[in-house]
Amino acid sequence: MSTGIEKSEATGEEDALEALLADRAIAHDDHLNAPGFVVNPTDVQDVLTDLREEAGYDHLSCVTSQQYEDRYETIYHLTKFADRTDEVSVVVPTSLSNPVSQSAEPVFRTADWHEREAYDLVGIEYEDHPDLRRILLPETWQGHPLGGDYDQEKPQLVTLTEHENPIQPDHHDQESDTMFLNIGPHHPATHGVLHVKTVLDGETVVDVEPDIGYLHRCEEQMCQQGTYRHQIMPYPDRWDYVSAGLLNEWAYARAIEDMADIEVPEYAQVIRTMSAELCRIASHMLALGTFALDVYGEFTAIFQYTFRDREVVQDILEELTGQRMMFNYFRVGGVAWDLPEPREDFLEQTRDFLDELPAKVAEYNDMVTSNEIFQTRCVDTGVIDAETVKDYGCTGPVARGSGVDYDLRRDDPYGYYEDLEWDVITRDGCDNYARVLCRMQEVEESAKIIEQCVDLLEDWPEDERTVQANVPRTLKPDADTETYRAVEAAKGELGIYLRSDGTDKPGRFKIRSPCFSNLQALEEMSEGEYIPDLIASLGSLDIVLGEVDR
Amino acid sequence: MSAGTSLGFPAATPLQAGETVLLPERIGDLTGLGEFGLAGELFAAFIAAFIVANIMMAMTGVAGPWAKRKITAAFTDRIAVNHLGPGGIFIIVADAVRLLSKENIIPEHADRPAYDLAPIVIAGSALLGFAVIPMGSGIHLADPEVGLAFVFAVAGIASIGLVMAGYASGNKYSMLGGLRAVAQNIAYEIPLVVTGLSVVLFAGSLRMSEIVAVQNETVLFTIPGLEWAVPAWYALVNPFAFVLFLIANFAEVGRNPFDMPEAPAELIAGYQTEYSSVQFVLVYLGEFLHIFLGGAIIATIFLGGPAGPGPAELGIVWFLLKIWAVFFLTQWLRSAIPRVRIDHLIEIGWKGLLVLSFANLGLTAAIVWVIA
Repeated sequence: MSTGIEKSEATGEEDALEALLADRAIAHDDHLNAPGFVVNPTDVQDVLTDLREEAGYDHLSCVTSQQYEDRYETIYHLTKFADRTDEVSVVVPTSLSNPVSQSAEPVFRTADWHEREAYDLVGIEYEDHPDLRRILLPETWQGHPLGGDYDQEKPQLVTLTEHENPIQPDHHDQESDTMFLNIGPHHPATHGVLHVKTVLDGETVVDVEPDIGYLHRCEEQMCQQGTYRHQIMPYPDRWDYVSAGLLNEWAYARAIEDMADIEVPEYAQVIRTMSAELCRIASHMLALGTFALDVYGEFTAIFQYTFRDREVVQDILEELTGQRMMFNYFRVGGVAWDLPEPREDFLEQTRDFLDELPAKVAEYNDMVTSNEIFQTRCVDTGVIDAETVKDYGCTGPVARGSGVDYDLRRDDPYGYYEDLEWDVITRDGCDNYARVLCRMQEVEESAKIIEQCVDLLEDWPEDERTVQANVPRTLKPDADTETYRAVEAAKGELGIYLRSDGTDKPGRFKIRSPCFSNLQALEEMSEGEYIPDLIASLGSLDIVLGEVDR
Repeated sequence: MSAGTSLGFPAATPLQAGETVLLPERIGDLTGLGEFGLAGELFAAFIAAFIVANIMMAMTGVAGPWAKRKITAAFTDRIAVNHLGPGGIFIIVADAVRLLSKENIIPEHADRPAYDLAPIVIAGSALLGFAVIPMGSGIHLADPEVGLAFVFAVAGIASIGLVMAGYASGNKYSMLGGLRAVAQNIAYEIPLVVTGLSVVLFAGSLRMSEIVAVQNETVLFTIPGLEWAVPAWYALVNPFAFVLFLIANFAEVGRNPFDMPEAPAELIAGYQTEYSSVQFVLVYLGEFLHIFLGGAIIATIFLGGPAGPGPAELGIVWFLLKIWAVFFLTQWLRSAIPRVRIDHLIEIGWKGLLVLSFANLGLTAAIVWVIA
């Protein structure tokens, strides 16, 4: 709750919202891009239902929680799938002594995990929540690490016997004839350290519950301890660490540039757009390859082929950024440096890749998507319809594969996307096959974008090649400025919530991970299907546990 | 064929064939062991079995640690082993040492005798099958009247081994893998045997040597201008049966697209999840032996056994080439074809292959009847 007085401009829409919420909005707490309404903890479901049903805010993008000196606060960042720029924040303060707030889960399914995380890390409790447990930290953890009174020096001493072993429980009961199976945390198909608690009836999946947190590295806290200017940028590379680094960096760059009001030079935007799309191609290649591993088996040629092609992209990115995975190439207000010299060679290298790409995509289509066994495996498995997608806050290829036409590059333009010719790919299949095809077509679209960027960069006048804006050595945004900004990362909407406290480090740094929300929908996709389909669905979600757990 | 005509060696057991000189007889002759009566015969047979078993094991040794790696690498744009020896061939030695020197960890809840026996059953059943396969160059252990039935029967024993392994490991993944193995083997053994039966209709005998002989004696057609006549290998006479058999065989030995019992992405390693060290080697060995046995059956009943251009002494070379061709095919499929889902697999087996194999049998019977 910042000053709570000024509104930048009272649009008609905001008035309508005010009318809708009436006296349930007890105050204003506007964020940089979104009007914010302060709501009583007992009105949450009411308000959110109205906003969803009446005003059309059908996308609960993120739930941020934080502790101030005098209160806890939960922020629901709402927006519309149909109009991403139309945002509104619902701010729910609760007292320090009794941090209980109504749960948003009955209104938005996606709030389930988000609120569990808020409970786990900050310590706010949610009434009506179906399953309020810790999500990232172990059950036996003492205290809430992002809460104000948490003592970081105090060691966590939990003896082995006290520690609940997540691998132990067996839900076998005599009557139902089901079998409980732990898939993971060490399993070939979990793409990292994910633990899926599964209940099987024969080969059929009856119940699925992903258990995450094995790769939790306190990314939010680490970012809160770094300075805006330089110390935060290396971290985003480590969220979605499989070659989507620049896309992640852009999320932070966008948030901080928005907050500190920094204008990025156009030339830098073009470079950003090009390199980010290269990352997207690399990431989608990896997604296809690992999906093939799940469906084909471990000795498939597809995986190696995709890695061969991804390698070319990695080489280009290495030329540009000096790194293969942890790029750290974006800077607040631009990029670190200009294209490598000799410039022509670099652009040539990129063009060569683009020239070869169509043949490769055709090869994949021959080999993978037109394979009949592949189709029987993927078509109509892992089905999730558009409504469920929205309810779970799924974004990226998962949403677009279910016909939700939602892509932040177009819907909430940033970078140089607006001035380029490309299409948002959507498919109506709602199944694993649609998601795979969606990614493959997005690769082609990314190639289009890169090609146009290369053209632009080639002809860019030499004296106008500014790669960075003038950014002060130390960034200290005004205290209590809040912003929530998102970009279209490889897996979907990657959002960053920033609150400044007047220092050169963020007061709160919250990451909205697309994988986190997408993974939550796994149970919708796989219950009632066979184990192989569960594995395929998990693969088609294309999660990276580094981003899920942060 | 009249069984038991003596060819310098008394046909003492009913397992002995007539015209072909079997390996134990030869050894008996060469070493003079045949003079020592039953004990001598047994010893000669033991030596012969030892030779055959070692040929097959050596092949597995080459296939497992080296050839498989090289072949899949070629399919997937990689190089694979290349440091030890020419083409990395000495990796076989390194791998053997590595695998045998590992600690053998036996799970606490393992059902001991069954758990220990399973790898032996899996590997042993496959080795047993080679007893009746005519490999050319005189390498043929036994030629019983019921050769083909025998080889199907002993290959089928492997299913018991898989179930034992799956059940006795005390691991849910193993259990699922074992159950899948049973479901799959039952579904595919029937089409396999029925398709094999159609060959028997042509050959008029279950005896392996007879099946091979009939294929090579009959001329299918001659290409004008060429001296060389195309023999009536059953793969050429009845390609439909050949393809059916090939598919059913892949399911039988659990290879892609039917590698359900292992399905690493789903069941980690299925029934073999808990096996380590020597026992793992045995399970693995058994799998490869089964692929080779499948290849041997295919070579024998569809590809003319050890027949090929050149002198008859080269028979073993041709025979091994045919087996390796089948092995190569399994690796090719492994690199290129997705795994089918378990329910599809069962469906293909019962609704597709079974019907087709009976149709094939009926058709073959009709053709044979017309010709006769």
